[in-house]
Amino acid sequence: MDAVSLILPLAEITVAGAIINASVHFIPVGGAPAAMATSTGVGTGTTQLAAGAGFTGLMAAAVMAAQKGINLMNPAHLAIILLSGAVGSMIMLGLTMLIGQLIYVFGVGVVPAADKCDKDPFTGDYQKSYITPGTTGHAIPTVCFISGLIGAALGGIGGGLAYIAFKQLGFDSGIAGIVAIGFFFMNAVLASYNIGGTIEGFHDPKFKKIPNGIIASFVASLVAGAIITGMSLGI
Amino acid sequence: MDPTLLALGALAFAGASATVAGCAEDLESDVGSQSNPNSQVQLGPQMGNIHRYFNKAISGEPVAYGLYVAVAGLIAWALMNTGLNVLLAIVIGAGVAAIVHGAYAVSAYLGRIVGQSKNFGQPVYMDVIMTHIGPIVGHGFIAVFCMLLAAYLAGTALGNPFPLPLIALIFGITVGSIGSSTGDVHYGAEREYQKYPFGGGIPVANQGDIDIKAETGIRNGMDSSYFCSRLGGPLTGLCFGLIVFLDGWRGIIGSILGGDLITKSAIAIVVGIIIVAIAAYINRVIEVYARNKYGPYTNR
Repeated sequence: MDAVSLILPLAEITVAGAIINASVHFIPVGGAPAAMATSTGVGTGTTQLAAGAGFTGLMAAAVMAAQKGINLMNPAHLAIILLSGAVGSMIMLGLTMLIGQLIYVFGVGVVPAADKCDKDPFTGDYQKSYITPGTTGHAIPTVCFISGLIGAALGGIGGGLAYIAFKQLGFDSGIAGIVAIGFFFMNAVLASYNIGGTIEGFHDPKFKKIPNGIIASFVASLVAGAIITGMSLGI
Repeated sequence: MDPTLLALGALAFAGASATVAGCAEDLESDVGSQSNPNSQVQLGPQMGNIHRYFNKAISGEPVAYGLYVAVAGLIAWALMNTGLNVLLAIVIGAGVAAIVHGAYAVSAYLGRIVGQSKNFGQPVYMDVIMTHIGPIVGHGFIAVFCMLLAAYLAGTALGNPFPLPLIALIFGITVGSIGSSTGDVHYGAEREYQKYPFGGGIPVANQGDIDIKAETGIRNGMDSSYFCSRLGGPLTGLCFGLIVFLDGWRGIIGSILGGDLITKSAIAIVVGIIIVAIAAYINRVIEVYARNKYGPYTNR
């Protein structure tokens, strides 16, 4: 292996980690409180939802990368693999948020309302007066839905990019897949620590902490990438 | 036979399996009270609500189901490689995963409830273990079996390059994350708090004040499963089934309409974006409906 064949995947791994970390900050996650309609967002943990969406994207990217005629060093092919991962991830999170919304509205009887903005920046709808007293919003208003889709797209791109980098290092699809899962979890957990519980999306004040998360993941991914590159050389 | 037609058939079958798996997974988590709403079952005795819910927050649902389905996938994969019939291997794999699930469920219940017995007076009900463990393991078996079937189809007929245990792990994590995000809300925000009027989130001050009475007698986990099987469970199944089906369907549409590799992929990506746009539109329609139907709070 020449230097470029090692440095390029290492750079991709590092960038992928930073993208995965950024993606988690966009996903509207209300954690346990959202499962009781006590806070806005999807009612599960940050890492868990990001991982669910990211792995669907990873699988979509892997299916695309396994097509006959795909060359992992061809930029056009690389782009369609990453876009395929992004779209797979968006479909997963989009449908999950939609079905969650159905349950919030018809099963629980709440109005989707964000607590961290007075007006939805996309629809212009006022939010505060629709929030149940004693709660910090509920369900998935449009701003959270759009933010979630952006996060899912980034997660799919990040997961797909990491997978491609591992394949470029010469790993078998199965090994590249399982390493990509571990790598995704590592960066999603770092983002989760940075968020510290729940986040509504890009309009949430916590979103401003995103540079810290990206830097942390950049460094962690660089170290992890160096170790994985060493593994590919049999060190 | 036309390979596209075969792929479409396999995809439909995988989607149907995923639908059943999603529904069974959510109902299992309602019987056993897993995932985020379990925090309220845990909090109940501290608020003076001695209950007969099962309590088994082994871990988050995605990780738990990732484990069960990966165990099943690994066993099935090993058996298939010895030449055993595929269906039988999947059944045996799901059976082993059910035993693992049962062991975790019992130890989690005993550990969690005993931890609350001394300080908050929550008894360990042996009959709750005996009556709930069957439905928990049974629903878990159905969920794991169907997911493994979908994973097998994804690996053999739908071009997934990963080995069966890895696809199983990813499907397990995905279904756990979907069940936790969708169906569990029906259990946590509605079923556990039915004594409060319908149509509001649960204020922080009321958390832990869970409903301990059922339609008849004292409530248990199976009552919750019965209630959630009318909305939360089926919608969870629909969600996972749609994800598996639509994500594969866009690829098949691309291969039917497209010529070369780039065109096929571009069509698949555009179809995917259209699906997402439709989901966003429906989400907005539901939001507007809820705002008009329920209206704002006027008594602040």
